[in-house]
Amino acid sequence: MSGASDGQAGVVVQGVSRDFGPLRALDRVSLAVARGTVFGLLGPNGSGKSTLIRLLCGLLAPSEGVVEVDGLDVASRGEEVRRRVGYVPQRFSLYDDLTVAENLDFYAAAYGLRGAERRRRREEAAALVGVASQGGRLAGVLSGGWRQRLSLAAAIMHRPRVLLLDEPTAGIDPVARRALWDLLFSLAGEGVTLLVSTHYMDEAERCSRVGYLFQSRLLAEGPPDALRARPDVTPSGTRRLEAELGPGVAAGLARARALPYVREATIFGTALHLLVDDRATDAAVARDLGARALRPAPPSLEDAFVRLTALQGAERPGR
Amino acid sequence: MIGDLAAVLRKELLHLRRDPGTLRLALLIPALQLTLFGLIDTTVRDVPLAVFDQSLSPESRELVAALEASRVFRVARRVASRDALRQEIVAGRARVGLELPLDLHRRALTAERSSTLLVLVDGSDASVAAQAIDAVNGLALSRSLEVLARGVEALPLEPRVQVLFNPELRSAALLIPGLIGILLTFSGTLLTAFALVRERERGTLEQLMVTPLSPAAIVLGKLLPYLGLAMVQLAVVLVLMRVVFRVPIHGDLLLLGALSVEYLASLLALGLLISARSRTQVEATQRAQLFLLPSILLSGYIFPLTAVPAPLRVVSHLLPATHFIAIARGIIVRGAGLLDLWQHVLALGLIAAALLLASTRAFRKTLS
Ligand SMILES: Nc1ncnc2c1ncn2[C@@H]1O[C@H](COP(=O)(O)OP(=O)(O)OP(=O)(O)O)[C@@H](O)[C@H]1O
Ligand SMILES: [Mg+2]
Repeated sequence: MSGASDGQAGVVVQGVSRDFGPLRALDRVSLAVARGTVFGLLGPNGSGKSTLIRLLCGLLAPSEGVVEVDGLDVASRGEEVRRRVGYVPQRFSLYDDLTVAENLDFYAAAYGLRGAERRRRREEAAALVGVASQGGRLAGVLSGGWRQRLSLAAAIMHRPRVLLLDEPTAGIDPVARRALWDLLFSLAGEGVTLLVSTHYMDEAERCSRVGYLFQSRLLAEGPPDALRARPDVTPSGTRRLEAELGPGVAAGLARARALPYVREATIFGTALHLLVDDRATDAAVARDLGARALRPAPPSLEDAFVRLTALQGAERPGR
Repeated sequence: MIGDLAAVLRKELLHLRRDPGTLRLALLIPALQLTLFGLIDTTVRDVPLAVFDQSLSPESRELVAALEASRVFRVARRVASRDALRQEIVAGRARVGLELPLDLHRRALTAERSSTLLVLVDGSDASVAAQAIDAVNGLALSRSLEVLARGVEALPLEPRVQVLFNPELRSAALLIPGLIGILLTFSGTLLTAFALVRERERGTLEQLMVTPLSPAAIVLGKLLPYLGLAMVQLAVVLVLMRVVFRVPIHGDLLLLGALSVEYLASLLALGLLISARSRTQVEATQRAQLFLLPSILLSGYIFPLTAVPAPLRVVSHLLPATHFIAIARGIIVRGAGLLDLWQHVLALGLIAAALLLASTRAFRKTLS
């Protein structure tokens, strides 16, 4: 156990920055992930999520700061770190021209598994993620969801202590997504530390802690409930409402944003989520928007991130 | 219709502009090709000549000086026996050997009988051999005419030409050993370069790099299959050469195999170096071409080295192909041994070592 971390942390990031030429892709980020928990990494495109994950598995070196995985300094003990880490890249990175079984066999061997043990682990992993039935097919012809599962299987065969997953559920159907998350939690239950980047709020809600990266900086970090309850998410003198508008919701959004007492408005289905000043009564809001129904709405995680982003005073990067 | 065409055209031009490497090489390669072809002068010059001068007379000195003045020959060695003369040619240090008889001096003066010059010619480089024979004959004739003009009866100088190897001056015997060098260049360099660049291009390097596999294991694991493939290729070409083209192998086959491994080591290292610097397979192909082209034109494969202008000959000597082709021809056509070829073997070894060093360094850097 080395100095910077307490012994319970599976991942420690301390004051880490990473520059690509003039571009600062990560700016003084610090966070810690306790062993056996799932940490969700969120943030808009280009905010630095993949960069952070690649620093954690030693593919990139930090420009400054310290990165520790499973209590080991990644910079000085990269080899040991690699044995303890499983990594699923954002882009499919297995061999298209090898079959599912061949891919798994190669990676099992690359992690030093030999003979009968290798076969056992390979089949175990394939069964766990449900790709066993695809064993003889070329990886290149698999559908996107199957490929993601295969990547995950390749990353867990060596029983890593820390699992780093870069958008593992992008493009996966809802049922498969749920199955995959169940699997991630069962791994966490066995003591594996997981760090998962995602754009899905429902996935974020299930994490023990989440971090929100925005323009290379970690804007907020903590359990989802704590983030939602932050005072700057719903400042004093304001409240959150849900206004049911029916089919005219798009026009309602424009109207709401023009109202002086509305701080924020977002569409959810046929309803608007609003952050309004307390000086406006519910009756006034309902009248101004022509709402059929109005009820108080606790902030969602997304509301929290939108608010934190707005407070940052910078415009949301649209890429 | 025109609008559609313009849209696609604009997009393609953008691709080209975003890929300055490809563009640069696409312009550079034809320029290089043209320059090399243009610079090569196929009339032979400075053919290395070994002289066994038995007469050591003013006449013999004058004769050798005249041969040198023609600029076709350059005296590379002076030896003291006929065997040594032959040995110089086997070792490739001389292409032509000239034996001047003991009585050159006396006979040239009296012209009782014609004086016979023994000319040994290395047939393993057919174009050089043919031109060298012409040059010796021409000189002997003009010398004789000079003497005749002084009123002597018989032709005083009569060259007796003996082509040592490949006596029919067949081009197959000459080209195929060279072709081996060129073929191995293609498979050795290009396939190796691809093996790594493909991983980078497809993004599979990302997953490979997080495994505990050492860079050495990754690199060696990739190189060995191509080394094996190239050795199989070598065997196939040798069998075809022997059976179909009926070119006999005079030297030691094992030696040829061993030196081929040395050659391949330099090629694979070069492939590795290219792959460390290239992001895409297209880029790697073009970089490889930049090397393959001189290997064909400047290595002595098509044009004799003597046809390569002096400044470019520096490049020739830096190319692994030059040394391997000299080795292959030496072993196959002249039956040369390791001692005869040591200079090429040493040069090739140094080149291979330098390339291996540079490529492991470049590769380490790209992987870290
Ligand atoms: N190798 C690189 N060279 C130069 N710039 C890079 C490199 N890798 C990432 N970047 C830049 O760093 C920034 C962060 O990129 P990163 O891939 O970490 O974002 P991300 O949060 O993963 O985005 P996404 O949600 O789209 O996956 C981007 O501006 C990106 O262009
Ligand atoms: Mg990313």
